[in-house]
Amino acid sequence: MHAVLAAAQTLKAPDLDYFALAPEIVLTAVLVGILLLDVFVDETRKYLVTQVAGLGLLVSLVPVVALAANGADRSMLGGAYVVDNFALLVKALFLATGYVVLLMSSDYIGEGDYYEGEYSFLLLSSLLGMMVMGSSRDLITIFVALELLSIPAYLLAGWRKRDLRSNEACLKYYLLGVLASAVMLYGMSLIFGATGSTVLRTIGREVGGSVGEEPIVTLGIFFIVVGFAFKVSAVPFHFWAPDTYEGAPTPVTAFLSVASKAAGFVALLQLVYIGFFGREEVWGPLFWVLAALTMTVGNLVALRQTNVVRMLAYSSVAQAGYILVPFAVAGSNPAANATAQTAALVYLLIYAAMNLGAFAIVMAVARKTRSAEISSYGGLFTYAPGLTLLMSVFLFSLAGIPPLAGWFAKLYIFESALDAGTAAAVTLAVVAGLNAVIALFYYSAVAKEMWMRPVPDGDTTPIPVPPALAAALAFTAIVVVAVGVYPQAFARLGDLAQLTLR
Amino acid sequence: MLAATKVDVAVFGASAVIVLAGAIGVVISANPVHAALSLVMTLFGVAVLFVAQEAHFLAAVQVIVYAGAIVVLFLFVIMLLGVDRRENVAREELRGQRPIAFLLGIATIAEFVLLTRGTSWVTGAESVVGPASGPGANVETLARSLFTRYLLAFEITSVLLVIAVVGAVVLARRPPPERPEEPEPLAVPERLHTPQLDDAAPVPATEVPAP
Repeated sequence: MHAVLAAAQTLKAPDLDYFALAPEIVLTAVLVGILLLDVFVDETRKYLVTQVAGLGLLVSLVPVVALAANGADRSMLGGAYVVDNFALLVKALFLATGYVVLLMSSDYIGEGDYYEGEYSFLLLSSLLGMMVMGSSRDLITIFVALELLSIPAYLLAGWRKRDLRSNEACLKYYLLGVLASAVMLYGMSLIFGATGSTVLRTIGREVGGSVGEEPIVTLGIFFIVVGFAFKVSAVPFHFWAPDTYEGAPTPVTAFLSVASKAAGFVALLQLVYIGFFGREEVWGPLFWVLAALTMTVGNLVALRQTNVVRMLAYSSVAQAGYILVPFAVAGSNPAANATAQTAALVYLLIYAAMNLGAFAIVMAVARKTRSAEISSYGGLFTYAPGLTLLMSVFLFSLAGIPPLAGWFAKLYIFESALDAGTAAAVTLAVVAGLNAVIALFYYSAVAKEMWMRPVPDGDTTPIPVPPALAAALAFTAIVVVAVGVYPQAFARLGDLAQLTLR
Repeated sequence: MLAATKVDVAVFGASAVIVLAGAIGVVISANPVHAALSLVMTLFGVAVLFVAQEAHFLAAVQVIVYAGAIVVLFLFVIMLLGVDRRENVAREELRGQRPIAFLLGIATIAEFVLLTRGTSWVTGAESVVGPASGPGANVETLARSLFTRYLLAFEITSVLLVIAVVGAVVLARRPPPERPEEPEPLAVPERLHTPQLDDAAPVPATEVPAP
């Protein structure tokens, strides 16, 4: 006993920087708070929980802004947890996405037969995992953050408990997600076995040196990238995405297709740029194949969809392909590598706004038509001109038509590929260009339906849009239009948030 | 790093065979109880491997938590769902799935063997191994590592457990059955005591539910 006590005194507490951890601490406090609040408010006043959750998200944005204003890079736990500009930018992105999703879902969840308090709790805990992911620079922290963001997402996908399709969505997402986690964990164990460290910076040093030549490192990198390819639904690991997106409640689909995907890309950025940078001959071709396949298959299958949610699901698969392009071309020369990082980040920010906006419109229209079939959008202009205009803005932004934000995002992707200048990179740029043309077909098919076709059932009563959903629409639309007109703002953010190599 | 002795190799070989045999048993057993018991075999083999690596604490936890608690939980579920249910293993859901899976499995094994040949391992650099007891013991070293270096991951895991509880409740809870409209039996006597003159419609007697 004495021996144990004597030893206990020698334990030096780890040096925690509470200011750097403040966003996560605030969010955790809000999480616990809403779980308790949910117990004490009665069934008719559950909307209070959602309101407190939304307020909590805004409050945890305060320390993020304060840290950004402070500007210093903070590192703790031996470099396993780092708060730098990159981490702050993605944390702000996740919090804003979470807030918009909460705005979108408050009426949807409140009106349906769902558990409201637990919904907010799980949404926020998934966001907490994403926030941690933004700062994780260590394999174990990355893995735990990934589980923390995934497990609530599995549950949310099955939130419509009495709907078989929602059950299928939940089960498919869960089984494939767990399989991906297992594959990734195996890759991580191989990397740890070869380099003897879980900290990305040390791994980066070792992989850049003689250890990187070991074949086992190649295998480890391969497995980890495959694991995250599941998360970002890259072809050929995308099979869960359309069924899960269709079966899950629509706000959850929006959350999965934006926030969950962004978290996967954030982890990939950190792993590739800090951990595996020395072996670009391994991950470069891997990302090239993933990007080309994901864009092409996603767009071609999206062409044939008759349901707008499935169409958006395949469109989001294709969009992930565009974000993979900078990964494929990074590492060919230093200039390309900086542009590639900015391009991926800027695309993530813009994609979040335009995709969330498109899903918000789908939800608004479904309030009246109770359908997500593209044919039910016929003549939308005659009775909901505002929604039609906004939907067209979001769709053409996704397609990359100037002067909307999506155009600028695609431009940056092409620039990163052309900066790299190698034959492979230019070929990939050509593939991306062809895909942008294919994508225009299915996006404009919906637009044509809305503007030119007659109303299918002749019912032209206007669609009531609740204020929260309207706020979500206004916010995303402003971002899409403003960034399209003044793109330098996001480009500057992307440049500031570069991950430093080594 | 210590060189592997013959005993080490023998222990590794024996437990590797146990682990693999158990794993194959889990996959090929038609009876779920047999599969669960094969899993115990695998987990015991892994525990032996941990002991061989001097990770005594992990070995104990492996036996107590995995082979003990988790497999027992599996067995509970199997018993609750009906122990006599057998899966028809012979049926193929997807045509040609098995031969393809077999070929891919062989290819993966071949790939592993090719890749691991000539790899020099650098393990042991950051291991948290200590003696089985006494000062600086295994448990203490592990705790030190858990509460300093991996503190944040450890704390996040606790949030994960809360999520698991909430998730289990949400998935398992049944909504309360829809009650037929009850015309508030308490309200009627109250009204009788304090009759309100401006009540347009007096409460009909039929609204009082029969006990």
